[in-house]
Amino acid sequence: MKRIYYLVRKEFRQILREPAYIGILFIMPVVQIILLGYAITTDVKNIKVGIVDLDQSPMSERLVEAYTRNNSFIYYGSTDDERVLIRWLDDGRISLGMVIPLHFQRDLINGRQPDVQMVLDGVDGNSAGVVAAYAAQVTVALQKEWLPKVPPLQKKAAALHITTIEPRMWYNPDLKSVNNIVPGIIATLLTMVTLLVTAMSIVREKELGTLEQLMVTPLRKGELMIGKIIPFEIAGFLLVNVSILAAGWIFGIWIVGSVWTLYLMSLIFSLSTLGVGILTSTMARTQQQAMFIAWFFMVFSLLLSGFFIPIKNMPDIIQGLTYLNPMRYFMVVIREIYLKGTPLEFLWKEGVAMLTFGVASFVLATVRFSKRIG
Amino acid sequence: MNEFAVSVKDLTRTFGDFTAVDHISFNVARGEIFGFLGANGAGKTTTIRMLCGLLMPSSGMARVAGLDVYSAYEQIKQRIGYMSQKFSLYEDLTVRENIEFYGGIYGLNRRQIRQKTAELVQYLGLEKQVDQLTRSLPLGWKQRMALSAAILHDPDIIFLDEPTSGVDPVSRRNFWLLIYELADRGKTIFVTTHYMDEAEYCHRLSIMKDGRIVELDEPRRLKERYGRETMQEVFMEIVNRKGEQ
Repeated sequence: MKRIYYLVRKEFRQILREPAYIGILFIMPVVQIILLGYAITTDVKNIKVGIVDLDQSPMSERLVEAYTRNNSFIYYGSTDDERVLIRWLDDGRISLGMVIPLHFQRDLINGRQPDVQMVLDGVDGNSAGVVAAYAAQVTVALQKEWLPKVPPLQKKAAALHITTIEPRMWYNPDLKSVNNIVPGIIATLLTMVTLLVTAMSIVREKELGTLEQLMVTPLRKGELMIGKIIPFEIAGFLLVNVSILAAGWIFGIWIVGSVWTLYLMSLIFSLSTLGVGILTSTMARTQQQAMFIAWFFMVFSLLLSGFFIPIKNMPDIIQGLTYLNPMRYFMVVIREIYLKGTPLEFLWKEGVAMLTFGVASFVLATVRFSKRIG
Repeated sequence: MNEFAVSVKDLTRTFGDFTAVDHISFNVARGEIFGFLGANGAGKTTTIRMLCGLLMPSSGMARVAGLDVYSAYEQIKQRIGYMSQKFSLYEDLTVRENIEFYGGIYGLNRRQIRQKTAELVQYLGLEKQVDQLTRSLPLGWKQRMALSAAILHDPDIIFLDEPTSGVDPVSRRNFWLLIYELADRGKTIFVTTHYMDEAEYCHRLSIMKDGRIVELDEPRRLKERYGRETMQEVFMEIVNRKGEQ
């Protein structure tokens, strides 16, 4: 026990003396939250629209106006040549091109359902999907406005009892991406410190030769492992708190649920990342190698965590794979706690899953560590 | 319990097809300064690592301080000091913090650590540098400090793996003065080196080549037997002659 105390003390001295660690602990969370919070947004804003209005009727003008008035869209220009519209799209000057056909108003009044053509820049599939949805919203709103005025439609509406869906978004009423991003960043940062930095710290001692020196002292391998884990677990805990404060002060996003539940879940989650970190240190000889291996793990767990890409959008096989990724559960848990305030009793399944992975990777790491190190 | 500090018989270590250490046998008496010479890759470091419990032998027998390296390697660690060619102190800790850390690892209590620190600092003449980062010390001092840190727990046997590589001649001499002092206090010193002048300081020398011990005797007797003036010449002759096979 005493030996562990001296190890932890030494480790903290080194951490506090290394400006890079201070940067990782206190500056990185803030910078990441600011950068990613503003940058990673699935909200699509400032969609440039180009329009070909072949009808030039009051109703077609009303349609154009509906788009130009909407905050998500910016009116780029009108033309009467479809080829010009396509060129605008090719040049990237607009991302949505709309073609209103001739006799739009007449057909509409006669109940003949004219087709308005929307041409989308599909290079970024995600954004295109969002743009299409926004465009549909605008159109639906306009239809509601017109329904009572157009006699044939009026009759149809009465007959059909048109059901309208009015979505109410709970927990994240503005559907702001940043609300989802901040919990994700906390998970990412926690992984980074407990996985990457732990691995680097052990491998660094390998490179320097101090690890070999430690192995000829009576220090046991188990003690060495614990002595390496405690400092970075504490560092990770600090980092979580710095992130919580940064998210609160910068974006006004404060945790809705219990912070204690979050702490508990973070602790359980970091068991698995620490395990992988130690595993990494047994595989790498140099800090560069450790970095590569750790990144490999991190990119996979990030991509399959549902942070950027919703898991439900993934193919079935990949969805199955995500169940092997501890970060997947943590991402769910932290979002639930953060945005919904979900209490512990509804999160125990994720907790048990993370604990299982944590214990497994830890046992594996301990076995490999005692065989390989030294 | 035999009276030898280190006793080795037919010790062998293979890495795949490669035999790094090939059936070597020797005994080292207590209080002896035992030199281990050989070109790079001759198997010196592998031997030391096996004796320190860092590496399991493939076969053969080895006892350190009367303890078996296969079964009692944890106890062996309490009885030996080890210093490798790699610098073993933490450069981002101060001299005092390094001593405190290694003292703590070796199980000394606070009072002992404080006492040892004062002793060491005075002995090495580091009063002014005690709270400086170890990084800022000259290499010669660092090496002597590393040795001092490796023997904080007062071990019987000290293994030194090329302890003076890269150090200037004056510092090397100081380092050897320290080694002699330790031997005078009854410590057994097991040292590998590339410097032939250092080899002359040893009580006995073993010369390794391709995993085997090809010569084992006192430096004086080796020189007589080969009719040479210096160990340098003896060493070159042995390495070259037996290399042509």
